[in-house]
Amino acid sequence: MLRQIIIFTIVISTMVLSGIDLFAQTSVGSLLSSIENLLQMNSDIRAKVNITQQKVGQGTKNMEMIYYRRDSDDSFLIVFSAPESDKGNGYLRVGDNFWMYRRNTRTFQHINRDENIGGTNARADDFEKRKLTELYAPALDKQGKEILSEELLGKIEVYKFEVKAIVNDVDYPKKIYWIRKDNNLPLKEQSYSMSGTLMETAYYPNYTIVDGRYVAVKMMFIDEFERGNKTLVEISGISTQKLEDYLFTKPYLENLSK
Amino acid sequence: MLLNLSLRNLFRQKRRNLMLGIAIGLGVTILIMASSFSRGIEDIMFNKIVTYVAGHVSVNMNEGLGKRVPVFRDKERLFSIIKKNVEQDAEIDESFGVFTRAIGNGKADNMILVAIDTSKRYTEERKKEVRESFNVIGGSLLDIGTSAVANAVILSRDRAESLNVKKNDVISIRFRNVFGQNQSERLTVVGVLQNDNIFMQGVMFCELKNVKAMMGYRPYECANIHIKIKDPKENAVRVADKIHSALTPGPAFIAGKLSYLSSESEVVVIPFRGDDDSIRLIGSSFELLDGKMDDVLLRDGVMISSNIADKLGVKPSSEVLISYNAKFEKERGSFKVQIKGVFKSDVYKGDNTIYMHEALFYPKFYDRIPDLDKERARVSLPEVLLSLPESTNKDRSNTFLPEDLNKKRASALGLTDQAYFKSALGNEWELLDRTRNTDEMRKKYAAQARKKIRATTMDVNSMYESASDVLKLESVLNIITLWAVLILFFIILIGVVNTLRMTIKERTREIGTIRAIGMQKRDVWGIFMIETSLLSLFASFAGTLFAFVLMWLLTLIRFNVTDNPLGILLVSNHLYFLPTFGSVLLNITLILVITVITAYFPARRAANLSSAEALRHYE
Repeated sequence: MLRQIIIFTIVISTMVLSGIDLFAQTSVGSLLSSIENLLQMNSDIRAKVNITQQKVGQGTKNMEMIYYRRDSDDSFLIVFSAPESDKGNGYLRVGDNFWMYRRNTRTFQHINRDENIGGTNARADDFEKRKLTELYAPALDKQGKEILSEELLGKIEVYKFEVKAIVNDVDYPKKIYWIRKDNNLPLKEQSYSMSGTLMETAYYPNYTIVDGRYVAVKMMFIDEFERGNKTLVEISGISTQKLEDYLFTKPYLENLSK
Repeated sequence: MLLNLSLRNLFRQKRRNLMLGIAIGLGVTILIMASSFSRGIEDIMFNKIVTYVAGHVSVNMNEGLGKRVPVFRDKERLFSIIKKNVEQDAEIDESFGVFTRAIGNGKADNMILVAIDTSKRYTEERKKEVRESFNVIGGSLLDIGTSAVANAVILSRDRAESLNVKKNDVISIRFRNVFGQNQSERLTVVGVLQNDNIFMQGVMFCELKNVKAMMGYRPYECANIHIKIKDPKENAVRVADKIHSALTPGPAFIAGKLSYLSSESEVVVIPFRGDDDSIRLIGSSFELLDGKMDDVLLRDGVMISSNIADKLGVKPSSEVLISYNAKFEKERGSFKVQIKGVFKSDVYKGDNTIYMHEALFYPKFYDRIPDLDKERARVSLPEVLLSLPESTNKDRSNTFLPEDLNKKRASALGLTDQAYFKSALGNEWELLDRTRNTDEMRKKYAAQARKKIRATTMDVNSMYESASDVLKLESVLNIITLWAVLILFFIILIGVVNTLRMTIKERTREIGTIRAIGMQKRDVWGIFMIETSLLSLFASFAGTLFAFVLMWLLTLIRFNVTDNPLGILLVSNHLYFLPTFGSVLLNITLILVITVITAYFPARRAANLSSAEALRHYE
């Protein structure tokens, strides 16, 4: 009995002291996959998106839009409902085709995927479905170990880890995540430029569950480069009902703005 | 004798001839000034603005489907092709204009970062031109080449004020690099531009190699190319056509090793296009022994020849590793792909080949480009990459032709039906057709966007397409000058006709007398013609002299046109005239011809007067 207690104590204390073995099950790769699984929607989506953008010297701008997305054929539709100056304008993507619609001129214009949406920092390709694990991989320290630690974010226990881009086609080549230990949901995310400058901090304080997946319904983006700029994104009215084909057509977008 | 008589007559009516001479002289002055100003504008437009904005000829690349990724992965090769097709003294430069958000001392503004290669050997003439175009307070534009500070930049006085920075201060900028990633850098101000024109206000100039590093270019990669040539008005289109035909691409492929489990095989990987016509061609040209053609034709579609599949035991869903020698990197290029189908090998398709959707192929190909020339000599390529003669490869019109037309083309060339699918295979890059103006160019880009080309597109433009708006401004200014000159001619014409009519009227009795004492009609006509010609000649010389004095005086005036777009027509805030010997001679000749033609009819009228009638004439 004593022998068994000694062996158990040695095993546990070794694991606790080394730490590494306990972490072996919690690798950055597995955390990334976990985030991906928790957040990735597999059904069609319709949601209302409110964006409040605050810029230094320009005041606050509120935008409201309806967002439809169907991943089966890489389609999405964004229609602005506010402010009045943008009302009726929209963006439609079907496969590789991407159009911007302007209500005033009633014209569709072919645009690039790297074009900004509605004067915000969001780009058209930000709305594409892309897997986190296909874009980022764990960053390694000088010893070749993953940069992963545990800490408190406020009063919440979190994993903090660093990832680096494995493709060129991303907004930021380096990111640091703080994810909750209890459910692996991201709470905070810092994005760095290639030169190592902190460019943006994002907070994801609220989530909701839709069809068994988590959706961040409130997001705050702080511009760390130009202090004072921030963007608040709120998502509401989420529906996962199947979206009809006619939604992703030019005539539908035109009719919406009549 | 006629010359003496004409000269004497000129001095007989001093006041009238002086007034007429002044009118003609002023005409010459205005004509010379207008043409010199127009030539000055032309020089600014063609050799300064167009050169910096778009080049006389430009070669533009885009590697990103639906994105702007202006990069070509083999700078040396591109420069070598261009150099062979332009005059030796042509200037070939990489062009960068990066939109940035800049933060100075507590203030932020939008700026455009423009790259200049100061490592080039500039001629004295070019250095002078740089000094004139970019007037840097207490320094020179070439100071950006210094390595004493990090990322030296020179910016306009207006932006230096709006960012609250001065010499030696640091500016932080945010921008998107060539791949669209957010990037930030710190720049050091080494000078402030005095230029006040509106086009210079939002610009920062930085050394080319620094900008390239910031933008994420590797040393062997290059951005869009601007070419400055001599006499661009005459040569731009010809040079663009020549470069265009020299840039015809060859077929793209990767030759390397395929590894599966513990076995290896030589392999040639060939891309097929993803447009509908090409997909149909591929679907109908290949016979699959294993796997589904629908899977192969998707964006991640890959099919392998039955020869390798049998040899290595590869089946659909097997993951194979492909590795190859890169042209510029020591590290071998490598990537894994999942096989979706096995096709029946034959002489055209190749025994050791893999055909891959271009969406999967090109990112690997461009990331580490292989040395295709070396590989062509090293490996035996499948017949399909060799079968069509070079002239057909150059004929890009077959690229998007429907299936049956390609069959006809292949048949006409004496090839088997199988060979026609070459048109569905990808090239090293996609050369866009030449266009002649901006409208055609826009239509071409719209058509290109619909084709969804995944290979790097390459577009060769002359200034008539890429800088047509600037050239239109020059045309408008020329039209204004032409109208001013026409009005001037009209005034001169009326003046000369009127003066001669009055002279003839006053001298009618005199004409009668000299005709009565034996002077011939032709001589009377000659007197008037010589008189007018001499007057015009003297007036023209005086007018030319006056024009040069006036132009010199006008160039001394400094204009502050901060918010006026027409400020681009100034050089260092001064008016710019460019008189040439040829243009002055032409202007004088033109005035002479006009006055002589104008004098012809009144002189003939005088000559035709009968002496009796003339002697009877009373005022």
